[in-house]
Amino acid sequence: MSAFIELRQVRKQYSRAGETLVVLDGLDLAIPQADFLALMGPSGSGKTTILNVVGALDQPDAGSVHVDGTDLTQLPSKRLPTWRAENVGFIFQSFNLMPVLTAYENVLLPLSLTPLSGKERRKQAEFALEVVGLQDRMDHRPNQLSGGQEQRVAIARAIATDPAVIIADEPTGDLDRETATQVMDLLVRLNEEMGKTILMVTHDPVVAERCRRTLHLDKGVLVEATEGSGA
Amino acid sequence: MSVPFLQVRRQLRAHWFRNLLTVGAVSLAVLLFAFLVSLIRTLDAQVEDSSGERVVVQSAVSLFVDLPLDYQTKIESVPGVMELTKWQWFGAYHKDPNSGFFPQFAVDPDRMLRMYEADIEIEEGPPGASGDLRAAVARAMAEEKRAALVGVKTMEKFGWKVGDTVQLICTIFPHPSGGAWDFNIVGSYSKKKDNVDDQTMFFRFDYLEDTFSGGDAAEAVGTGTYFVQTAPGASAAVIDGIDALFANGPQRTRTFTEAAFQQGFVSMLGNLPLFLGTIGGAVLFAVFFSVVNAMLIAGRQRIRETGILKALGFSDGSIGLSLLLESLLLTSVGGLLGVAVVLGASQALKQGLAGFFPNFEVGPGTLLQGFAIAVLMGLVAGIAPMLHLMRLRPTAALRNEG
Repeated sequence: MSAFIELRQVRKQYSRAGETLVVLDGLDLAIPQADFLALMGPSGSGKTTILNVVGALDQPDAGSVHVDGTDLTQLPSKRLPTWRAENVGFIFQSFNLMPVLTAYENVLLPLSLTPLSGKERRKQAEFALEVVGLQDRMDHRPNQLSGGQEQRVAIARAIATDPAVIIADEPTGDLDRETATQVMDLLVRLNEEMGKTILMVTHDPVVAERCRRTLHLDKGVLVEATEGSGA
Repeated sequence: MSVPFLQVRRQLRAHWFRNLLTVGAVSLAVLLFAFLVSLIRTLDAQVEDSSGERVVVQSAVSLFVDLPLDYQTKIESVPGVMELTKWQWFGAYHKDPNSGFFPQFAVDPDRMLRMYEADIEIEEGPPGASGDLRAAVARAMAEEKRAALVGVKTMEKFGWKVGDTVQLICTIFPHPSGGAWDFNIVGSYSKKKDNVDDQTMFFRFDYLEDTFSGGDAAEAVGTGTYFVQTAPGASAAVIDGIDALFANGPQRTRTFTEAAFQQGFVSMLGNLPLFLGTIGGAVLFAVFFSVVNAMLIAGRQRIRETGILKALGFSDGSIGLSLLLESLLLTSVGGLLGVAVVLGASQALKQGLAGFFPNFEVGPGTLLQGFAIAVLMGLVAGIAPMLHLMRLRPTAALRNEG
């Protein structure tokens, strides 16, 4: 399998209170298309930093990050937002929905960056909400939804523009077991049926077990890779 | 650049109370600005429109000390003097002291009408008059001792008509009968320039002199001022000549150009323009700081949302622009509201200030300036939070708990 996402000798460090913290230390990582990868490890091991550099939210200090043939480290910073809009969907632990917008409007938001017509955008937003089973909650605000419903809206928003990559940072972290299972069912479906490449950070081994692969990190280096059920 | 307009609209609606207060503060600032600037311009216009070829003679002691009447012929002898009229403040009221202030002056009507030919327009002459209304009014005033020429605004305010006889009660010059002074209105006028107003009543000085001197007055009537028309370019020489003429008394004079006299009159109000300008400026700054504060709060409350928008692919520019648009929208609405209130209240303001500032007018230029200031406020207030949001790194913004 050729690598759809490839990190080569990626190094990232932060300075905090005069102390330098190395979070990624020459990391090499290859992820094939339509993979569903779980990243696990203790706090500070570099899991979220991997998501950030793959999602072009942050740039590594050294090394290169290739996604679908594009070297993100070579893209001018002004082009990164457009690249994100076209290629990546984000799912966050705390959902990160716009509180002033309805579920439908939240899903519509990234679509406003696409060249689609207004009618096409509305159709696409409705379809995304249908995929996550929330077509009957379209006009609800985030504070009128349960945690699980909020995360499903966030998933709908992430897939609305049909990106190739979905980046999920502890998507089940704030959910109870039953709701977490429903969210994982949805992500597995996106991976299997829609062919989305998913990178997910989790602390939950039960959740990680449902991914195709799990990578364990510690102090910025890969320490172990395990196969999951992928279902 | 794709600006999240929907987000901007919803943010405005979500924080409606704060936004309402901001809009209200800006509209009040525009209202105050328009009012104060118009007031200052009214005062300035009185000075600017004054004739450079007219001078005013008053007592060197004070404006409230009368000059002897025999000064008139002496002043006429000063080289460069073309014409002059007595100009005596009467200070009466119609029916009730609270019925509305309007100035009255006892003058030499024929001379005054000639001197102010370029400044006032006769609107209506004596009943039956046609052709040269100015000459008709001058004739009527010469024939009728109690004749009066009244500004159109005062005519309108009291519902007077040419031909009416009106009664005024005067405390400075109480009528010897103990009753009111009668005046027959022989004409009305409107102003052509802002150094005069539409409210004044002019009447014959000799009516005042003869009537008042015939009573129990302890002293003869004098005149507060003489208004003198000079030959072109001769005003400086005339001023020196008049003051030199009376340097040794019996009553020393102080002579000014009409502009300087008007300026002095304005200064008697305690440098009102500076005072008004200072208050207006202070209020504008206070409102500006409140708008800046509101926008800084709006920016601070939006850090996490900015992180989300950046993650979704919105550019730094579009996110910054959305906050700037919000700021501009708030202050523009406030500015328009302020302009609308000024327009709606301008008649009431004019009427309320008519007694002291008869030429008060809020011009379209002032309203445009007020609106421009409101827009500028929004622009400046939005820049700091806009730059802050633009410079935020998406990862740092997403970590924000606010």
